[in-house]
Amino acid sequence: MKMMSTIERGVATSGYVTWLPQRPVFFLLFLFLFSSLSILAQTQQVSGVITDQTGKPLTGASVIIKGSQQGTNTNEQGRFTINAPANATLVISSIGFNSQEVPVKGQNAVNVQMGVSTQALGEVVVVSYGTQTKRNITGAVQTLNAKELADIPVAQVTQKLQGKLAGVQINQGTGRPGEGMQLRIRGQASINAQGQPLYVVDGFPIVGDISTINPDEIESISVLKDAASTSLYGSRAAFGVVLIQTKRGKTGQTNLSVNAYYGVQQVPEKGRPQMMNAREFAQFQKERYEFNAQAVPAEYQNPSQYGEGTNWYDILLRTAPIQNYSISMNSSRDRFSNAATVSFFDQQGVVLNSGYQRFSARLNTEYRFTDKLKLGLNIAPMYTINNGPVTTDGVLWSGGIIMSAILTSPIAPHINPDGSLPLTAGGTGLFPNPNWYRTVQEVEAKTKTFRVLSNASLDYEFIKDLNFRTTINIDLGQSQFSRFSPSTTGAIFAPPPQKATAQANNSNYHSWLSENTLTYKKVFGDHNFDGLVGYTVQKFRSDALSISKTDFPDDRIRTITAGATTTASTSDIQEWSLLSYLARLNYNFKGRYILSAAIRRDGSSRFGTNNKWGNFPSISAGWIVSDESFMSQIKALSFLKLRASYGLVGNNNIGNYPYYASVNAANYAFNGVLANGRSLTSLANLDLGWERTKQVDLGVDIGLFSNRITLGYDYYSKNTDGLLYSVAIPSEAGFNSVLTNLGQFKFWGHEFTVSTQNLVNKFRWNTDFNISFNDNKVMKLGNTNAPIYGNTNTTITRLGGRIGEFWGFDYLGVYQNQADVDKSAKYATSAVGTAKLRDVNGDGVITNTNDDKTIIGNPWPKFLLGITNSFAYKNFDLSIVASGSYGNKIMNRTLESTLNLDGVFNVLKDVNNRWKSQQQPGNGLPSVKSGTTDLIRYPNTYWVSDGSYLTIKNIALGYNVPLRNKKYFHNVRIYGSIQQALVLTNYSGANPEVSGGSNPQSNTSGGDALNQGIDWTAYPVPRTFTVGVNFGL
Amino acid sequence: MNKSIIAGCFLIASFGSCKKDFLELPPQSFISSATFYKTQEDFAQAINGTYAALRSLYSDAYVMGEMRSDNTHYIFKATDRGGQNVQREQIADFLDDASNAFIANKWTSSYNIIARANQILAQIDAASFDNTAKNNIRGQALFLRAFSYYELVQYFGDVPLHLVPTQGVEDAALAKTAKAGVYTQIIADAKEAATLLPLKSVQEKGRVSSGTAKTLLGYVYMTLKQYGDAATVLKEITGSNQYTLLTDYAAVFALNNKNSSESVFEVQYIQGSLGLQSNFAYLFIPGLTNTTPITGVVGNNQIIGGWNTPTRDLINSYEANDKRKDASIAYYTDAGGVTYPYVKKYLHTHANYNNTDDNWPVYRYSDVLLLLAEALNEQNKSSEALAPLNLVRKRAGLTDVTTTSQTELRDIISKERRLELAFENHRWLDLVRTGKAIEVMTAYGAKVKANPQAYYYPAGSAPLTQSYNVTQTRLLFPIPDREIILNPLLK
Repeated sequence: MKMMSTIERGVATSGYVTWLPQRPVFFLLFLFLFSSLSILAQTQQVSGVITDQTGKPLTGASVIIKGSQQGTNTNEQGRFTINAPANATLVISSIGFNSQEVPVKGQNAVNVQMGVSTQALGEVVVVSYGTQTKRNITGAVQTLNAKELADIPVAQVTQKLQGKLAGVQINQGTGRPGEGMQLRIRGQASINAQGQPLYVVDGFPIVGDISTINPDEIESISVLKDAASTSLYGSRAAFGVVLIQTKRGKTGQTNLSVNAYYGVQQVPEKGRPQMMNAREFAQFQKERYEFNAQAVPAEYQNPSQYGEGTNWYDILLRTAPIQNYSISMNSSRDRFSNAATVSFFDQQGVVLNSGYQRFSARLNTEYRFTDKLKLGLNIAPMYTINNGPVTTDGVLWSGGIIMSAILTSPIAPHINPDGSLPLTAGGTGLFPNPNWYRTVQEVEAKTKTFRVLSNASLDYEFIKDLNFRTTINIDLGQSQFSRFSPSTTGAIFAPPPQKATAQANNSNYHSWLSENTLTYKKVFGDHNFDGLVGYTVQKFRSDALSISKTDFPDDRIRTITAGATTTASTSDIQEWSLLSYLARLNYNFKGRYILSAAIRRDGSSRFGTNNKWGNFPSISAGWIVSDESFMSQIKALSFLKLRASYGLVGNNNIGNYPYYASVNAANYAFNGVLANGRSLTSLANLDLGWERTKQVDLGVDIGLFSNRITLGYDYYSKNTDGLLYSVAIPSEAGFNSVLTNLGQFKFWGHEFTVSTQNLVNKFRWNTDFNISFNDNKVMKLGNTNAPIYGNTNTTITRLGGRIGEFWGFDYLGVYQNQADVDKSAKYATSAVGTAKLRDVNGDGVITNTNDDKTIIGNPWPKFLLGITNSFAYKNFDLSIVASGSYGNKIMNRTLESTLNLDGVFNVLKDVNNRWKSQQQPGNGLPSVKSGTTDLIRYPNTYWVSDGSYLTIKNIALGYNVPLRNKKYFHNVRIYGSIQQALVLTNYSGANPEVSGGSNPQSNTSGGDALNQGIDWTAYPVPRTFTVGVNFGL
Repeated sequence: MNKSIIAGCFLIASFGSCKKDFLELPPQSFISSATFYKTQEDFAQAINGTYAALRSLYSDAYVMGEMRSDNTHYIFKATDRGGQNVQREQIADFLDDASNAFIANKWTSSYNIIARANQILAQIDAASFDNTAKNNIRGQALFLRAFSYYELVQYFGDVPLHLVPTQGVEDAALAKTAKAGVYTQIIADAKEAATLLPLKSVQEKGRVSSGTAKTLLGYVYMTLKQYGDAATVLKEITGSNQYTLLTDYAAVFALNNKNSSESVFEVQYIQGSLGLQSNFAYLFIPGLTNTTPITGVVGNNQIIGGWNTPTRDLINSYEANDKRKDASIAYYTDAGGVTYPYVKKYLHTHANYNNTDDNWPVYRYSDVLLLLAEALNEQNKSSEALAPLNLVRKRAGLTDVTTTSQTELRDIISKERRLELAFENHRWLDLVRTGKAIEVMTAYGAKVKANPQAYYYPAGSAPLTQSYNVTQTRLLFPIPDREIILNPLLK
């Protein structure tokens, strides 16, 4: 270590400048004829000392002769020496300080004291196609930098954002390692498309989400919420835009840092399903048979012979390690800067046989040929291995192992007394099940993904402040999935021995983007202009291949080659292309009155011939009121800005070929021989166009007491028109739906943020708080306003209501006695002790149709909040992050099975409190009377409960080890952290952070608005205890 | 030097790609309608695709066609009250409502066939290819459309009549056409199909032929009580020399007799991994943890089995020597000693669980003969009716009927149809067509309620008191509620 750092410094302070080749530079200057090569005047030696605001020497500050490539860095005493023309100007910069320009004026000694750039509002924020000072921003943008996200040891950056962003709902629906999470910005939702924002990494809109990107590579994240901020991303911006800036070399610095953490994950006891144990289950079965006057099978005749039995939930779980190691190096010297990060992340899953590993690297470099010309190259390869049971999440009939396992008889053992493993786990009168302990461990399923993100950019300054930038970006990915299910494994209703099956999928994609922009800045007195025009081209293609086989001779050869019979083989090619023009003009007068207008014109392969192109304009304005002289009397008010914006953005997330009428295979056989057939499976719609969201945003930013308190408020209102969705049509047409642009949603909300520096002296305490209120309303649906039923008739989206409200029966309890039955509305099987439902249409009869169903819950929160408290005392720091949601309802669809009264599943302990007789009416669950139990298996109010929660997401305590000698380490920091420390909720299911799945019968994040708040059981979210260390060299 | 090359590449990459067709990316994994329906091969594939939709129509057809009647019941699953079970039971018990998924499938599948046929009929004239081939495809499309409308009109009564392809939202919902109008269209289509289609002997095996279209016409005329027209068209079939009865009744359903000389129309299946298999055997046997004792293949059909179970009434109505009884029904005794009969017509050798090779017989020659006998008898040509009737009886190993009393013969023919065509989805519609449904099913319901255990209810379970309230409205099924919501004209 010692040697390394010495060498590093040696290079930095001595030979670096002369080492670099000169010839290419010369060539370029010659070729472009924009030479600014100054004729070297007579030079002299200049030296001096650079100090910080307190007078201490600054090491590694960069000193460059303005207008040339010549420069040097200060040494450990803050001293520099350089040969400079007598009329030269030195540019001195160092991270964290305002850079300064000092004319040499023939002097031999130049000493400079630097000023700290602490002005938060002077902070430069990454915005669409450029950067902007926070002060001048007129849209709704929230930015977080790496420092604010440190110490949260999680696999993906999205987890770190929980609780930090106003108006953004981030739910961790599943704890499955490697699973992406969804950001819902300002409640935006659509019907056909998932609600994911557009992720832009270093200016490149990437494929998919950012779950595979190593959080250690990220420098800052900007979340763009309003149309004015996002309209330069046009047709893809309706769900908001998340801009990720990765780490790059910082001027004048060379450093190396090593970060490592190790943690242990556990599933908390709270939230585990309270299923009956073996004794309770036998008792329940016994009572059920007796109630129905049937003979009790031997297995259940004597419940007291059983004890706890098998807890099928617990046996799937384990305590699992999580670890991460990362080395970053960055340096910037003269014309060359680079930042490199190499990481290894390994998370074993808390469910047996699951885990996720990621190897990632990133190299960001920049080479400045001249002041006018620079080349940037970034490359970030990553490789992930996701290992685990194919389906852990979701409902039993789509194979969810967790849900299937908890329904298995607790009497059945997962390990025999002799230590051998049974094949099956059944019981008298029960559905046959595999031994889940074996299935979860013996199914081999693995996804290996390789991905490279890379960008190259070239910047050229034609004349002062007129810059041309061209970039080429490539996102390449390759993914390989393989599964082998041996004969000893199975699924619910399909116990082993089964024929072994295997599957292999291969897919790859590439997306390339070329962007060309021209920017120009000009100041006329108090008038400041800057403008941008650009032209971009992007194209995507993916190729996928999948093959499934069965009839393996045995379980020994586990690759698909050994399977005798192919059960499925498919291939798919997807492509899209996008051609765009963009322009923006920013203007401000005296830095006080700010105006900005932007437009993007997008042409897309996805849309019908009649609607290929769309225009997405926006306009915004800001007024820094606190700069007005009449405000100067108000001493407490240090900053006040009013903002307003309006714009139009689009959603093109509807698949690649929606407007084509597809003709698909519809094979038949004639006399035992395959006959290839085809049929039209969708209707063409050449008029198909963008889903357009118009958004108004009104905001105010306030700073009080020298910005010790900063407040932000935004009101927004959005109108999504031309909703892209499959309008249901009567099936007499031969089709169930046709994709159209008929529909309208309205969204609105209020967002507040407060940041306070509560204590600023020896003991420092900062609080960041945000709260947001969002709501939505359905304004129009199709041509007939026919409601949309989602999630197998579990949600309804109808005119005047909200999107995806729960739909079902209003459960009133049970019929207490015959008089109750006689006077109440009845279903076909109603009797004393059976489920009593509200007769919604009042016809005296309960029918299992929409007539007696009603809205039974709103999945959208009334408000979302997040609080981060940070404390620091001497070398200690502590931060506590909490996030919460209030007023949303959750429908626990697991109860359809875990409250099943037919005796085919294990059930919740609660079932013991069912109606048993008029003397034992129980707590509202109906009786086990045979043939009467079907009605409560449909969505009803009994399944709906309050989903409010407040979760302490992370507590991190750090200690900066005081170093006597900083020769080898700049800093050493150790920390301990607890992720998912505490969940406060009344929700009885495993996890209140239920989000809509892309698969309607799974919790796995996907963001389908019609499936919001429906819990189908998921991989549990563990609590993680971690210790970590950071070394800075 | 290399830097300038890089710079040059950037510019080329940026501007070189903006060709005019950059935004035109047609799908590569499926064909679009813009390029389909052009050639003979396209239409050949399109007509095959129209047949393919028959498979989903027939997957559940036994529920409304057979289980609704007195031929079959179901084995009540006291421990599995899932919707897929309850809804089937409701159809059998006359408790079904508009939310029933099986009724919706009848509606949707029928209209799927119609839509596919309409695509062909609307576009085939514009294509230029061999006229014989074109007429054959047109004939098949017309038949399949007529056949589907006949299903719809029998089960639902007045229905919307779509005769051209739907373009979009605007023309998707039509008002109902009265039954008479639907029948007029069916007759027109079936007549045209009968002239366009070749004889069975020259048609590819498994496709519909002119005889198939004429059988449909015969059925339609019978339903409309136009007995003379029915007899005429049915006689054209018997006189065509295209069809004979196989000598052995059981052999009719054997795998090696698919599309035999007795077959008029079958829905085709093949076992294996092509996804073209049938699985009726597994639905119709009792639910077992291991199906080996019945099917010879390991599997667990507890979830899917236990439907279309032959009733005692049906079993008891076979005459002593009727060969059809053992060819149609077998028995299984479970561990508890309870014996269940099950349909064995669709159970033959196969390799994999829930994956059989058996076709579904839609029209058979014996069906044509019995229909002809009925048509003649209804015209008071009782003696003439005896010949076709006795052909069928003789094959079953039964003695000839000699009575010429129209009333007696009517009952005999009805019973003969019940037994000859048992489990082939004719019974319920025959009862409705002959006006016997209310009488027969009310009596049957009383028997079920009086002795539930004889109708496969376990001890402690029984049909609901409201069941088997067989009224005039129950002769039709409710139009699915989804359809009414989306097309209020159907109310």
